[in-house]
Amino acid sequence: MAQLAVDPLRCKGRGICALIAPRQIDLDEWGFPMVSSDESEDPATLRRARRAVAACPERALRLVLRSSTRPGEA
Amino acid sequence: MNTVRASPLFSSGRWIPAAALEVDGNPDQAVAGVGEPGSRVLAGPRLLAGMEPLRDHLERLGPLPELGNAAGIREYVEESGLQGRGGSGFPVAAKMRAVAARGPRPLVVVNGSESEPASRKDRTLMALRPHLVLDGAAVAAAAVNADQIIVQLHRGAGDAMAGLVRAQEERRRARLPELQVEISCGPPRYVAGESSAIIHFLEDGDARPLTDRRAARAGVHGRPTLVHNAETMSHLALIARRGPWWFRLAGTIGAPGSSLVTLAGAIPPGQRVFEVGGAVKLGRLLSERAGLSAPPRAVLLGGYAGAWVDGAAAWELTLARDQLSTEGISFGCGLLGILPWEACGLAETARLLAYLAGESARQCGPCAFGLPRLAEGMTALAFGRVGRREVRQLLRRSAIVAGRGACHHPDGAVLLLHHALAVFEDDVERHIRRGPCDRAAHLPTFRVPTAAPEAGWR
Repeated sequence: MAQLAVDPLRCKGRGICALIAPRQIDLDEWGFPMVSSDESEDPATLRRARRAVAACPERALRLVLRSSTRPGEA
Repeated sequence: MNTVRASPLFSSGRWIPAAALEVDGNPDQAVAGVGEPGSRVLAGPRLLAGMEPLRDHLERLGPLPELGNAAGIREYVEESGLQGRGGSGFPVAAKMRAVAARGPRPLVVVNGSESEPASRKDRTLMALRPHLVLDGAAVAAAAVNADQIIVQLHRGAGDAMAGLVRAQEERRRARLPELQVEISCGPPRYVAGESSAIIHFLEDGDARPLTDRRAARAGVHGRPTLVHNAETMSHLALIARRGPWWFRLAGTIGAPGSSLVTLAGAIPPGQRVFEVGGAVKLGRLLSERAGLSAPPRAVLLGGYAGAWVDGAAAWELTLARDQLSTEGISFGCGLLGILPWEACGLAETARLLAYLAGESARQCGPCAFGLPRLAEGMTALAFGRVGRREVRQLLRRSAIVAGRGACHHPDGAVLLLHHALAVFEDDVERHIRRGPCDRAAHLPTFRVPTAAPEAGWR
């Protein structure tokens, strides 16, 4: 499971992430990204999320990986 | 643990349910002003007597007992159930444990910023009972093995500064064995009192908040940093002397100990800071201490970014951190702001929101751009002509702003707005139909600092 997360202190609202991953990122009326909370495991979505992270000029976007099973259950 | 002087209740090993001993049963002790019967951290000379000198402080309370090892003190604090007397009410012992575990050379910061413009409880303690605050800081330092204490103030808090400076001078002359205590003054900005902002200021001279994650990891120059406000420290000073079970004799099981509150808004002149020792009804406090014979229009609880509560409902609220949180209200800094019937809640909220918007550190887009828009929307509703569409848009915008800052500043502003639209629902309706009410022209009930933004962040 992967979830995009924005560091609000770094983000300058350049909006490149929303161009690359429009399904996961919406821009608010001031141009700052709002990340959708639905976590998709579809490889194409994940690939776009990775590209959005790499493309952020402020390095404000990251991909938080969460194991889908709780510790001890695997 | 052995060297901590145990209280009689504690050493007897008997478990005494705090509810059975709630001070509320004794009407004289539930609410107390400075130096009045029933007060604890406010005990000592009366308000007009000024700062309690070291000699009187020691005569009244005795010296701090030998404190013993750090782990023992933390257990002692844990038994007391003391929760931080700032915003979130986080357990003090847990914070101490986290700091002690993080690494070498910890640092203790007494947060005396009291950024809430109408709150006066921490300043009252530092001005009138600075020795209690410094004793408490010494206990906190011993609990985490810190060798340095910094008191962080806002510039302009002259009374607090005077009390602390004089107290330090007295302690030096009395050759009290003492840690190094420094006083640091930062810009008087709303979010500068947030603990990550204090850490940022002490490290870089910049009082803007960091994200929680970074602050928790860093500390001042990488040193694990324990931040508690002046009131929390004062309670520690008494817990060390009288024991955790004495502490629990006041308050409730879920929120032990007494708490300070500050009255603001439409109140008579005179004393504003009170100590609440039991599960007191807010209505009782307001009738006894604010001269009200009936519920006001509304009460602003917890701070300027707090919760509006309809006056009649507020009158019946029990003033205890845990009971309020079951109602979805944060006790916050203990601010009790009274809105009179002659004033308009929407107009007051518009002014408060404009103030909060101006206090954004402008680090995060949604807060920097969003809060001014929310304030404009509220101002239009309070003083101009708007329709239902604009009110709906205001709500939509507020939902977008909440939860997207590094600190919780935007969340607090949004909460204030939501409470206002709910509590003053009828006024919203009237303003939409007929434009601003006569009460909107009432003089501001809650004062906001005006010159702050020019003060910068350094």
